Amino acid sequence: MNFDYSQLKTQFQQTLAKSNEPAELTSLRQAAFQQLKNAPLLKVTKFNFHNWPLITNQVQSFSLSEADLQLTDNEQVKVTVNPQVIAVKLPNSLKEQGVLITDLVSATRKYPQMINKYLATVIRPEENQIAAYHTALMNLGLIIYVPQNVQLDGPISLTVNFEQQRTTNFHLLIIAGKNSRFQIIDHLIASQQQETPLTNFTEIIANENSEVHFSSLDHLSQKAPAYYQYRAAIKDYAKVDWAVGLMNECNTVGEIDSELIGEGAHANSQLIALTANDQQLGINNRVTNRSPHSQGLINQRGVALGNSRLIFNGIGQIIHGAHGSEAEQQNRLLMMSPHASGDANPILLIDENDVEAGHAASVGKINQDQLYYLLSRGIPRHQAQRMVIRGFLSAVITAIADRDVRQKMVNILERKLKENA
Amino acid sequence: MAILQIKDLHVAVKDEETHQQKEILKGVNLKMQTGEIHAIMGPNGTGKSTLSQTIMGHPNYHVTQGDILLDGESILDMPVDERARKGLFLAMQYPAEIQGVTNAEFLRAAINARRPKDDQISVMDFLQELDQNLELLDMKESMTERYLNEGFSGGEKKRNEILQLLMIKPSFAILDEIDSGLDIDALKVVSRGVNSMRSPKFGSLIITHYQRLLNYIVPDVVHVMMGGRIVKDGGPELAKKLEAEGYAGLRDELGLKIDLVDEDD
Repeated sequence: MNFDYSQLKTQFQQTLAKSNEPAELTSLRQAAFQQLKNAPLLKVTKFNFHNWPLITNQVQSFSLSEADLQLTDNEQVKVTVNPQVIAVKLPNSLKEQGVLITDLVSATRKYPQMINKYLATVIRPEENQIAAYHTALMNLGLIIYVPQNVQLDGPISLTVNFEQQRTTNFHLLIIAGKNSRFQIIDHLIASQQQETPLTNFTEIIANENSEVHFSSLDHLSQKAPAYYQYRAAIKDYAKVDWAVGLMNECNTVGEIDSELIGEGAHANSQLIALTANDQQLGINNRVTNRSPHSQGLINQRGVALGNSRLIFNGIGQIIHGAHGSEAEQQNRLLMMSPHASGDANPILLIDENDVEAGHAASVGKINQDQLYYLLSRGIPRHQAQRMVIRGFLSAVITAIADRDVRQKMVNILERKLKENA
Repeated sequence: MAILQIKDLHVAVKDEETHQQKEILKGVNLKMQTGEIHAIMGPNGTGKSTLSQTIMGHPNYHVTQGDILLDGESILDMPVDERARKGLFLAMQYPAEIQGVTNAEFLRAAINARRPKDDQISVMDFLQELDQNLELLDMKESMTERYLNEGFSGGEKKRNEILQLLMIKPSFAILDEIDSGLDIDALKVVSRGVNSMRSPKFGSLIITHYQRLLNYIVPDVVHVMMGGRIVKDGGPELAKKLEAEGYAGLRDELGLKIDLVDEDD
């Protein structure tokens, strides 16, 4: 990755010197920065992002915004994150049960042990260069902690607006206590006025027998690229479901990753992406079965328009000893333009005999039977195509828990397809 | 009054194994107008479905000779959706399933495609009409919020085809083996739906193997198709005769040299 290391180092040290963060964060940053020079880049098969300007010198402050907590009597949990402010609306009843939603700095001050125990442990800074850079220079962070045995009825709705002329390294840390259960609906946005890149990290720790449903609808339109790294560490009989919708306009690369650490752990990793114009998007969707009787499912659907390039790698790994495990994956791409390129690569790495594993991959054109059926009812071609595409993506769209978010997704989809018709 | 005319129609299909064009229709002539119900009967493999798909404009069927005219205008160069908006409708043997698109949304899109942009059907009018037609077809209201044909049983799909017919109100409806796989009760319901459409503004071409359907939807004209051509025309009594004597009998009576697909050697 092209960047001026010595300049970044000087700037990092200066920024660190003037920040008054808790020592835990400072030492984490320092350790991470040391890995920056030599750590490898994340490998995304058939996708090259070495020259993307992801690492910049534009982090002038770590001023992680402090959360403004507002306790409410209704049941909705709503978090709105802007670079200047993190507004948290939390029902009194949940606060009483110990649910914590706040910025990373405040959380580190109040609960240093918890932060030490979890932050940057699921995605370690030494793993790859962007992880090192991100951890060293995080400048927007949020933690969601749900204590053991707490179950939320409604979703935690999270909107993050990266509306500022500076590089944003956003970190979301989600901790699910034993037997807890909740949903998070994440909505990331950035407008075309943005010219700076984003690194976007989510770490989920799903403790024993917990259930976390994470759905997201991202619509990042900034001119610079976005890097994603989402990973869940899933313990005994815990369950994490991802339903990620990448409706970005910017170049996007990254990895959605589920580590099935515990016995009987379960992950269902669903993702859809739509690319247009000259956009490039490459995603690893990875599930690793590390324990017996764990179950990992991957389902990715992508649509490539214009001159865009779309790569889906489905990586299912079963470690020796994870007997009785299951790894299934589907990677499907729809190419809507002769100038678009793409690939759906199933990668199965299996080191255990007593398992069930399967994969399906396809790169193809729009389903002609479905299209003909709609046309035969007089529905004009472009509209009919949009309906067929929606059908193609629907397996994942329907996995998004919230009806309004689903509708929003469909609206963005329709608009993008219309623009690129 | 609208007129659908098929003139000396020759149609070829590419064989999927040999990649050779194979001629299926070998000069079909047929003329019908709104207010009439025609039935086409014929043995398997004789080109009945080819005829219906060709009229609708399915891209796999190539017209090599002849013409199809709607009110005197050739439709051969029209894309499928335009033919539909001109008044043609095909109730399919195997309707496609589309997840993520509800039946109701699909129906509204089909209706609105026929109306000007500034005069789209109102939600109230749409629902009112939908309710009436659901009742006529003994369909549950929940069918409309289900995804298009997804997980529908064979019978539900056929009813759904007829529901579309009632909502879209085409000038000409081709019903391609709408009776296949239906039990007697469903057959009655489907027939009730089609019969409710009967008017001077509606015509239908019913394709079937069996005469049974024609007891419920009584045709004005019966055509018999064999070997890619229409070989005999008649009234409803022709269908009854076929039911009694079989296609082989008629072939021999007409002195045709045609192999029937399902005939024993």
